[in-house]
Amino acid sequence: MRRALRHSGRTLAFAALIFWSLFPVYWALKTSLSTNAASQQAPVQFFPYHPTFVAYQALFGAGPESAAAAGGISQALVNVVVEASGATVLTLVIAVLAAYAFARLRFRLKGLIFYATIATLTLPVYATLIPLYRIMANLGLVDTYVGIIFVYTSGFLPLALWIMYNVFLSLPAGMEEAARIDGASTMQTFVRVVLPTARPGIAATAIVTFLFGWGQFIFPLVLSSSSSTEPLTVLLAAIDSRNVPYTIINAAAIVAVAIPAVIVFFLNRWIVTGITAGSVK
Amino acid sequence: MRGRAAGETEDLHHAAARPLPLEPQARRRRWERPGPRGQSATRRDGYLPYAMIAPLVVFIGALAIYPTVLTVVEAFFHIDPLSPPDHFVGFGNFSAVFSNPQVRQSFANTGWYVLFGVALTVCLGTGIGLLLQRPFRGRGVILAIVVLPWALPGVVEGVIWSWIYNPTFGVVNSVLKSLHLIGQYQLFIGTRQVESILLIALVQAWQITPLAALIVLAALQSIPDELYESASVDGASWHRTVRSVTIPLIRPALAIATVEALVMSLNIFDQVYVLNANATTASSIMSTTYFITFQNLNFGQGYALSLLATVATVLLSVGVVKVLYRKVEYR
Repeated sequence: MRRALRHSGRTLAFAALIFWSLFPVYWALKTSLSTNAASQQAPVQFFPYHPTFVAYQALFGAGPESAAAAGGISQALVNVVVEASGATVLTLVIAVLAAYAFARLRFRLKGLIFYATIATLTLPVYATLIPLYRIMANLGLVDTYVGIIFVYTSGFLPLALWIMYNVFLSLPAGMEEAARIDGASTMQTFVRVVLPTARPGIAATAIVTFLFGWGQFIFPLVLSSSSSTEPLTVLLAAIDSRNVPYTIINAAAIVAVAIPAVIVFFLNRWIVTGITAGSVK
Repeated sequence: MRGRAAGETEDLHHAAARPLPLEPQARRRRWERPGPRGQSATRRDGYLPYAMIAPLVVFIGALAIYPTVLTVVEAFFHIDPLSPPDHFVGFGNFSAVFSNPQVRQSFANTGWYVLFGVALTVCLGTGIGLLLQRPFRGRGVILAIVVLPWALPGVVEGVIWSWIYNPTFGVVNSVLKSLHLIGQYQLFIGTRQVESILLIALVQAWQITPLAALIVLAALQSIPDELYESASVDGASWHRTVRSVTIPLIRPALAIATVEALVMSLNIFDQVYVLNANATTASSIMSTTYFITFQNLNFGQGYALSLLATVATVLLSVGVVKVLYRKVEYR
């Protein structure tokens, strides 16, 4: 009896957990597939009985309601892909090189530089937002991909460095020693022996960094002044404050949800590795 | 601070999970290379390490440390593109900030955000961690479902939830009315301060709870099974086991989860920007800083506010770690 009770309690807890995690996304999806009239019924309909893609067509500039959405989503999608992947590649190259030097090589001021970099992890957005805007304005990099990618990279580097440093430390040193004894230089050892072994760690760092880049909001809000560099998040906030039908707003939200959702469902193992390596270790 | 705390946990993981390095290998290394290890490494590596860290140093120096120094210095200057020139004003920006009622309200609001954010995130995160502790079929799928909100942009979550909270067509209103809990549809955000803040904090908690859950889960999985076995041999109830075995052993993880939630709720912006816009009802320090700086173009006051918030964030994080974090050792 007691056991049955506990079992059903557990099932209930799982149901609540799944509902809590998925319902908001389901609700946006359901709304995006409804007609305007269906989305405004009271009491609400919990299922899209007559699903339609009208909202998506309007969002991407077709159909009668497209004028209200004012377009721009295709450009915003291109922008966020360029900015998030650009920052991921740059962050990874810089962090992997530096993390290996910190983990395996000896040089002066190593401890100081390492801890100064890791310490910037604790800096909140406040500490750098205004000066970064002014620096980028002085350099003429406001509203450019380069400016946004550089700012993202400076923000993502400390965590990527921390994860990769721990990855390199956890690799057995024996293989590298063997390669060196066989006459390989440090760089050859790094490229031929270390990098292939560290691939899972690199993948985890890349995925977590890309997701950070995908979700950035306040920096591009400040740094991109036109639709030519505006990522999806900034466009979505703008659409949300305009008088656009809710079906279209939710369709735009689902577009922004789609890529992270696909990444989570297929690559979650790496995300979990990345998050736990980054915060627990 | 976080680095050191984290380093200690790492030792614990290594001790618990990783086999010791093979004995003969270690011996051979020492035998083959006379002299301290550092010396020979320096000779062999030459300038290579400096080349490998140079890009990192440039980026972190120019785009993280230099801007932080600028914030500290320029908080004491009058900087306003609309009324130049810039000049030193001492604590002028700070007194202007403190005498601004909107700023004072955002301080109080942020206190509520931190309270709700930390409580919701740490409690829910610990609960989820405990629920997922034991392996079961389908845990991978459940884990993906749990992680999903963490992977979504904060703005998107703000937009999705603003539709859920919508005063005329929202699902919360519809359900509450069907259950006869409210007589008519309500405006949830924008009228009552604490209620608005709680509902916005809930949206952020939805986003950051997975992080806390994963941190707690990782700590739970490093607890040796023998401890649970001996607890059950001693006849301890589930409740007693959680209190006397689990909680003390995941204390470091709880400290880290608390600090993460604290820092994120002190910095709450995306959700506030979408759900509260620039109203004072539920404004946060970050949203107020944004509007003062980039809409009123009062950079000096923005700097002063940023500096205060940065100092508060760092001090509070260190404080929480000091109070909660204890190194755990298994014997």
